[in-house]
Amino acid sequence: MKDEIAPLKNSRPRPILSHDPQGGGSPETTDGWKETPTPMSLFDSTQLALESALRGASIRQTLLTDNLANINTPGYQRKDLDFHAQLRAAQAAGDVADVEFRPTTDPARIVRADGSGLDADQEAAELAKNALEYQAIVQVMGARIGILQTAIGVR
Amino acid sequence: MGLFDAIDIAGSGLAAERLRMDVTAENLANAQTTRTAQGGAYQRKEVVLQEAGGGFGAALVGAMGGPRAVASASGVEVAAIVADPTTRQVYDPSHPDADANGYVDMPNINPVTEMVDLISASRAYEANVTAMQSAKTLFTKTLELLR
Repeated sequence: MKDEIAPLKNSRPRPILSHDPQGGGSPETTDGWKETPTPMSLFDSTQLALESALRGASIRQTLLTDNLANINTPGYQRKDLDFHAQLRAAQAAGDVADVEFRPTTDPARIVRADGSGLDADQEAAELAKNALEYQAIVQVMGARIGILQTAIGVR
Repeated sequence: MGLFDAIDIAGSGLAAERLRMDVTAENLANAQTTRTAQGGAYQRKEVVLQEAGGGFGAALVGAMGGPRAVASASGVEVAAIVADPTTRQVYDPSHPDADANGYVDMPNINPVTEMVDLISASRAYEANVTAMQSAKTLFTKTLELLR
């Protein structure tokens, strides 16, 4: 059964479940995949996923800003990016580093008489939420980098 | 997709809303103007905004395989400033510009409409300032990772 798991692209390491350096053999990862050789990268897939999430949040921030800039443009279609869903899909596919985020528009959404799909309050709320999310991702990334720094003795 | 795209986009929104405020102020200032360089009464002006995008940079990013919606996320731009040629006739025989029947051609300006436009532009300006501040905070937070 374990042989059916597709190898990760670029031989990226996965979190290791157990490994006995003296015992030889391959380390076993949390999802049952045998890593060979022992992964040497500093950054695991969680850190790579965080990087992608940060990129997604950044793109979404740009799109929401674009929406606000066009708040008085008649017939404007609002842009958005569901980077959570696209990142989840990438995680399921096993490659979280090079996610190509695809922004979407919704031509069917018209909420104003001038044909615009924008509601100013809603856009402002989404912008604030996304900014908080971005900061949360940065904080977690920073904490993880801090742990690595402690481990390798950087002060 | 640069780091400062969000700030540039908010900047384009600030410029557009500011122009709307300028034009609205001009309309209010000229509400009673009966003589202009083109002759006749002042014509009410209105700013028409459109989604910026297209352009060389966006086309290049699109051609290089970048996602189109991001490539075209470049803010707002002024499509045109349209003049409204209609005037309203006011009966004022003592006015120097009155015609033979005592009617004066006045600009078709309703102060209430202009004030509403002004508030709308002002609020949209504030929204763009908020977006710009938010983007600035985010970039600062990211740069703190380097410390």
